[in-house]
Amino acid sequence: MANLRLRPLLRALHRDAGYLGVGLTVVYAVSGIAVNHIADWDPSFSDYERTHHVRTKLAGDDDEALSRAVLGELEIVAAPREVFRAGDDQLDITFDDRTLHVTLSTGEVLEQGQEPRFFLRAANYLHLNRGKRAWSYIADAYAVLLLFLAFSGLTMLSGRKGFWGRGIVLVALGAAVPIAYVTLS
Amino acid sequence: MGKAVIVPSMSRRTFLQAGLAAGTFVIALGGHSYAVADLEAMKKARATIRPDGRSRLPPHQYLIRKLRPMGGSAGDPAPGAFRLKVHGEVESPFTLSFKDLLAMPNIEQTVDVHCVTRWTVLDARFEGVLLKDIAERAGVKKSARYVIFEAAEGYTSNVRLREALAPNVMIAHKHQGKPLSLSHGAPVRAVIPDLYFWKSAKWLTGIRFSARDEPGYWEIRGYHNHADPWKEERHG
Repeated sequence: MANLRLRPLLRALHRDAGYLGVGLTVVYAVSGIAVNHIADWDPSFSDYERTHHVRTKLAGDDDEALSRAVLGELEIVAAPREVFRAGDDQLDITFDDRTLHVTLSTGEVLEQGQEPRFFLRAANYLHLNRGKRAWSYIADAYAVLLLFLAFSGLTMLSGRKGFWGRGIVLVALGAAVPIAYVTLS
Repeated sequence: MGKAVIVPSMSRRTFLQAGLAAGTFVIALGGHSYAVADLEAMKKARATIRPDGRSRLPPHQYLIRKLRPMGGSAGDPAPGAFRLKVHGEVESPFTLSFKDLLAMPNIEQTVDVHCVTRWTVLDARFEGVLLKDIAERAGVKKSARYVIFEAAEGYTSNVRLREALAPNVMIAHKHQGKPLSLSHGAPVRAVIPDLYFWKSAKWLTGIRFSARDEPGYWEIRGYHNHADPWKEERHG
């Protein structure tokens, strides 16, 4: 039977598609769990806030010089993206990943920043397709691969242990879960 | 050659039992995160009636103590680069810099924040400019019916004009007395306390008055177009 001749081929393809999909499955599954619980935490970044005190007297109108004085005392070597006088007494020094809010009269510095979470930042970036463009094609291809895995998986075993035995019960159960959820919620 | 017999290292029953145990453990962990809510404070908030006759704590919300960031595609946090375009159905469109915003009448107000994911923060303090003051300066045309908040990376949210011009809707640059952090929308975000908080666009870049409704980022992804927490308008 043609059906029987196809099974070994499908099994081989199923195996290879499975190998191919491991990397992206890890990315999407781990990111999926992380993003599902976005109400409890920021899945991509951890925020931090620190306060510093600068002893150098911060006076004058030269914002760049004031910024250099603050960065020098805090031993920050990175170049700021922007130095901005937010008010008579407030200087904001912005970097890519943090901002220093300096109160000039007191020398108090509030540092607000965020650090990317290991692996999750990149995984969520891909999962949420923040990059768009080429990643859309890769994500679409992966979705097609998953569909192939699902349907080829149905044919892996013949007989009572295959689709027409235990398989159909489990497929029905798997389909019933989302249907019941949508219907009852 | 005889047929190879494959003996599983774990019976199906053992496998299912292990899975059940792992699932119970995970659910127990999840339950723990909800159990930490202050039940007395929740009861009190639920019993407190707002001037509009609604409970202070909308249905099925729980209390937490500080805002959660909830992600999003961040914009440029540099105040010097900030520009807020006020446009659409207005007599005099204009663009505000961060300094322009600070030069307008700034107020501090304490509001309750309700997230669609069910957490609520009471008494969140924000400082900024009332949207109705910005609207007054722009001269909103009679044809305007909606306000579209525009933000970094193309994020938008839509709010009915009457609700956007409520006296507690503001364009904020400070939270709890401190400049907004990047994850909370620095340098400037919208604050619309009486709608679920996804309407309060972070990293704000524009306020557009519109004659017709334009569902925003989450609205076209299945979230409710209006988002009233007391009616539990979570999904469309």
